[in-house]
Amino acid sequence: MRDAPAGTPEPIVRLIEAFHRLPGVGPKSAQRLAYHILRTAPQEVENLAAAIRDVKQRIVLCSVCRNITENDPCAYCTDTRRDPAVVCVVEQPLDILAIERTGFRGRYHVLHGVLNPMEGVGPEDLHLRELVGRLQAAEVREVIMATNPSLEGEATAMYVHRLAGPLSVRVTRLARGLPSGADLEYTDDVTLARALEGRQDI
Amino acid sequence: MSDRPRVYRTEGLILRRRNLGEADSVFTVLTANGAKLDAVARGIRRARSRMRGHLEPLTRSQLLLARGRTLDVFTQAQTLHAYRGLREDLERSALAIYCAELADRFAVEQAEQPGLYPLLLAVFDTLEAGAPAQVLRWFELQILSLAGYDLQLDACALCSARLPPAETLLAASAGGLVCAGCRAAAGAGRLLGVPAIKVLRFARGASLADFASLRVGDDLGQQLEGALGDVLRYHLERDLLTSRYLAAVTRLSREAPPTASPDVE
Repeated sequence: MRDAPAGTPEPIVRLIEAFHRLPGVGPKSAQRLAYHILRTAPQEVENLAAAIRDVKQRIVLCSVCRNITENDPCAYCTDTRRDPAVVCVVEQPLDILAIERTGFRGRYHVLHGVLNPMEGVGPEDLHLRELVGRLQAAEVREVIMATNPSLEGEATAMYVHRLAGPLSVRVTRLARGLPSGADLEYTDDVTLARALEGRQDI
Repeated sequence: MSDRPRVYRTEGLILRRRNLGEADSVFTVLTANGAKLDAVARGIRRARSRMRGHLEPLTRSQLLLARGRTLDVFTQAQTLHAYRGLREDLERSALAIYCAELADRFAVEQAEQPGLYPLLLAVFDTLEAGAPAQVLRWFELQILSLAGYDLQLDACALCSARLPPAETLLAASAGGLVCAGCRAAAGAGRLLGVPAIKVLRFARGASLADFASLRVGDDLGQQLEGALGDVLRYHLERDLLTSRYLAAVTRLSREAPPTASPDVE
């Protein structure tokens, strides 16, 4: 499929098609971006090209926690002020940034996905074996499952709990309840029931 | 323009979800009349979405939808039953997800199949109440029958000859059991022993509750699972994506059975 009108020079067509393959970019946006690049100063375009190349060449997965990093092992795994006995398991590298904002000072493990049987994503497609290896080797006391509170995230948490069963590691799950600013009226039954079960003294 | 109402209400069971764009999701729903429906929920992936928990897969919900140009759009959703007993148990959720995929594969968009919805709800209710995995075999036989692929189990599917009580071939392409004389003409299949054949015959006519209370050993269970799996693959012309996951969970629960006091808190 061609996204550019007939007669468009070949390099521009290639650029438009490359942009079109990006998520959320339609044919019109791809054309606009390509012509924007054409008008941009050569140095700026060089920077963009170099940034794209660098991200593929210099970013690797940390051999310990599978987080994305430039230096293996990553900064979280080498920081001695962090507690190695507590490992927080997340779905995606971006989730680490969210957990970091809370002041958490333990270590991480990135699964790069969740169990999604309906889409054919099974245990062997996640970085679970590395996690079990860590639990067997190191002195981990607690694994915090910080997967999303969805059917898939819950299934993943239960699966890890079962994997860790014979290893005498405590597996915990993020609490579920009402988000700040929520409306009781629109809250679903599971969330509300969990919130009631997990109620606390004021 | 059609004269169908712009907004309509239906009850349904959420079968699956896939993400669309930045914050939207498309949900596949089995509606109460047994038809399948794909509809989009706008902004559902934002934390403050009001419909979020009401459209989780494996939830039975009351839905209000607006007709859209390509896909209909959810405007309201209210949980009727969340099946917590399924979603909070590793084995049971895997069994339910398998049933949901099966219903998804056999359901057709905008084509009513009146028996399908109650059938799926019955299996979900029974699984939530703690029924053994063998109820999947009952569900598979019933859904095949609903779709018009009833297995011929009483006589040879090819020549209608009486079947002696002995090991017999179940051939998907022939549509059921095949006598020794027709075996060469029947194509691929699986040899079933007398106990397996008896269980299949019983399952076809039994109520779900009666079948759930039947004692089926591990070996027999695996034999039936394989045989019906062949038949489903033949009619659906594909593998079921969730069966691999179900097998992984089953394997894990044999190696590391659930502990008496779960410490997922």
